[in-house]
Amino acid sequence: MSQQFEPNIVAFLCNWCSYAGADLAGTSRVRYPANLQAIRVMCSGRVNPLYVMNALQQGADGVLISGCHPGDCHYMEGNFHARRRLGMLKELLEFVGVDPRRFHMSWVSASEGHKWKEVVEKTVEDARAAGPFEGFRRRRIDW
Amino acid sequence: MSAMLLNKQKWTEFTGILSGKKVLAPVACGDRFRYAVPAEGKAFSLDFDRPLVPPKSAVFPQTETLYRFQLGKTELAAPQPGEELILLGVRPCDARAIKLVEKLFRWDVDDPYYLRRRELTTVVGLACLEPGLNCFCPSLGGGPASTEGLDLLMVDLGDSYYLEPLTDKGRSLMDLASGLLEEAGEEGLQKKEEAVRRAEEKIRRTVDTDGVPEILPDLWEHPLWQKTAAGCLGCGTCTYLCPTCHCFDIQDEIEGFEARRCRMWDSCMFEEYTLHTSGHNPRPTRRERTRNRINHKYSYFVRKFNVIACVGCGRCVNYCPVNIDLIETLREVKEAQ
Amino acid sequence: MDLDKLRKTAAEVVSRDDVKYLIGWRPGSYGYRVAPGFVEEASAAETLIFSPLCTINLATYLTLTEKLPLPRGSAPDQRKVALMVKGCDSRAVLQLLVEKGIRRDQVLLIGCPCPGVVDTALLSLKYPETESPADLKWNGDHFLLRQDGQETAIPRLSVLAEKCRLCRYPNPVISDITLGEPVEAQLTAEDSAVAEVEAMELGARAAYWEEWFSRCLRCYACRNSCPLCYCRDCVLDRLNPTWVNRAVNFSENTAFHVARAFHLVGRCIECGECERVCPANIPLGRLNRKLAREVREQYGHEPGIDPDGKPFQAGFKPDDPEEFIL
Ligand code: SF4
Ligand code: SF4
Ligand code: SF4
Ligand code: SF4
Ligand code: SF4
Repeated sequence: MSQQFEPNIVAFLCNWCSYAGADLAGTSRVRYPANLQAIRVMCSGRVNPLYVMNALQQGADGVLISGCHPGDCHYMEGNFHARRRLGMLKELLEFVGVDPRRFHMSWVSASEGHKWKEVVEKTVEDARAAGPFEGFRRRRIDW
Repeated sequence: MSAMLLNKQKWTEFTGILSGKKVLAPVACGDRFRYAVPAEGKAFSLDFDRPLVPPKSAVFPQTETLYRFQLGKTELAAPQPGEELILLGVRPCDARAIKLVEKLFRWDVDDPYYLRRRELTTVVGLACLEPGLNCFCPSLGGGPASTEGLDLLMVDLGDSYYLEPLTDKGRSLMDLASGLLEEAGEEGLQKKEEAVRRAEEKIRRTVDTDGVPEILPDLWEHPLWQKTAAGCLGCGTCTYLCPTCHCFDIQDEIEGFEARRCRMWDSCMFEEYTLHTSGHNPRPTRRERTRNRINHKYSYFVRKFNVIACVGCGRCVNYCPVNIDLIETLREVKEAQ
Repeated sequence: MDLDKLRKTAAEVVSRDDVKYLIGWRPGSYGYRVAPGFVEEASAAETLIFSPLCTINLATYLTLTEKLPLPRGSAPDQRKVALMVKGCDSRAVLQLLVEKGIRRDQVLLIGCPCPGVVDTALLSLKYPETESPADLKWNGDHFLLRQDGQETAIPRLSVLAEKCRLCRYPNPVISDITLGEPVEAQLTAEDSAVAEVEAMELGARAAYWEEWFSRCLRCYACRNSCPLCYCRDCVLDRLNPTWVNRAVNFSENTAFHVARAFHLVGRCIECGECERVCPANIPLGRLNRKLAREVREQYGHEPGIDPDGKPFQAGFKPDDPEEFIL
């Protein structure tokens, strides 16, 4: 029996909404794929593009960044900045040949346990379809 | 074995003999050349312009793993370079540079990595019959057919190559191909000398290095450094492309539960190069860094090893994006005396 | 361009009490080379030129020049730096002002309307460079090359720099003194180079960049020559934390290139310096121009144009595009 490929996803979740949303999904026993390594950051606006690069270099097959809905940011406008910057990062990654299915961004509030499940499912499915990430993975190159 | 001729029609056969070994030859990429293993099915060609990155990178790679280690384990794994290598189409200046750099790697301790690679490498040179615009090797004791640092020198005589073995490594390489070679004889030698003489005449730029190592220490505070450095971008172009630059940095890199210690080229033109942990930088501006680059080549290295650490390859002059011209700087040094 | 006028103006400017020195272009040491000229005395203004060989974007020196701690008791030199700028260079200065990287009263700008400069590498490929100094002049749809007493007319488009084919602002967008008459912005050509990469399949695109990024030497000439890469503490130089490993290989190089291009999103003014100085010939302009175009088209933002504008990455609009967000 051929084993289904299980992608590694690194998720950067904002402390105030998405992390709480993921927590809620957990406490309400919503079942969602376990491929995700969650990293809590204080705000989606704090996500540096080099976080994403480092994740991909070190073996992630997909990256998810999730924050509060526009207008709900704990710091008023952090997620607006994230939207602009990470939107351009997405363009850039695609332009240098990274499959767009490996990079997602979402808004998930603290009460959206079910949306969180959908987002994770979509992210995992997409990364699975894109296959294992070789590209500029460090181990493929020089390790 | 004495000097031999290789008819160019037998060139493919000759490279066929080499094909069992790892060969680095000049390969075109865009309008610049670099030393690489020619792609599968691609023939080696000696029809090339001076490569951008000097072949020092074959014996002193830009990044080299010194050893690896793992969390929870006490042993270190040190990779040993083990593969024999033939470097084809090396310019005589670059070969001289490999020899100069060796002095450093043999100095206070024998550097096992460099020396092992050096030992495994056969350097096959090609005389420059068409010297570049900024070549000034004769000013530094070299020349378009200089043999220092080479195992074998090749000279293009039109329909054949003149092969002159210089070391045992060169001789054994020629032995491999002995079936393809013919005795060069007196006529071959004359043709070669004529070709080399014509090449020497084509060199257009010169520097007078006489006394420069002695003058430099006195010019420490001279305004010429400020003037030269004003336009410098502080990039690594002139040093990374220089065949005699040999500075390196050592870093540990971690990946998961494994790590490696590696060394990589570093450049005295970078601000970070002399930056102390305290934040103090003894070379705070590009003036001190520019001064260091010239002094290292033309003064410190001379004091230590009795030879100027520049072979006149012209790369730093060619590729400096803002035309900081070593030849001009040296002229100013002489004038400042 | 009237060189006498240029030199006279430059001499006047450096004689002013409130000007420290002037940065312009001077002929280089040989061939087609042009070097930055730092003029401190009026007499030295005689060496200045402005020609199609003047590709260097001098705005870089505004932030490159080190500011050392002052000796105790001495006052900082408040005089201005005078700078000669082409269209693209002036955009760099304007963007620096918008970002508060420099202050307006620190610079005096001498604007040079610019009919386009050459791609020096291309020029020397087609018309081999020799050691004797060359002079290049604008002449309608030709460049006139004078060298060794000979004159050659070179069709303009055959050696024009790529960035100039795409130039939308050949006249300085900001200047204190303008030399010569404004030139007409030409019809901007399609950016075929970016389109070519965009048209590739994903895999081919990855292979294309792998080929190029693997050749990068990490000499950082692209970073150092960029007028808008002026962080005192560059993320690439950081060791604690190490954002990008020092090892030079395709993996780390990609991280470096993505970081560099990303840090210039909405800031790059397309002066082409990074690509010009790259010894490995990496087509960095394609990365920058792709992103500049996206910023223009998706967000309606263009850097280095509006003195009252806000830096792109430091701002947002509530209705920024978000179709990509799940
Ligand atoms: S200093 Fe310049 S000319 Fe001399 S060896 Fe180095 S790159 Fe070549
Ligand atoms: S290549 Fe030129 S600009 Fe770069 S560090 Fe060397 S001298 Fe300075
Ligand atoms: S981009 Fe425009 S302003 Fe800049 S050099 Fe070219 S034509 Fe001149
Ligand atoms: S100038 Fe070119 S080779 Fe140097 S770091 Fe930039 S891209 Fe790499
Ligand atoms: S990134 Fe390149 S083109 Fe853009 S401003 Fe910097 S040097 Fe100029």
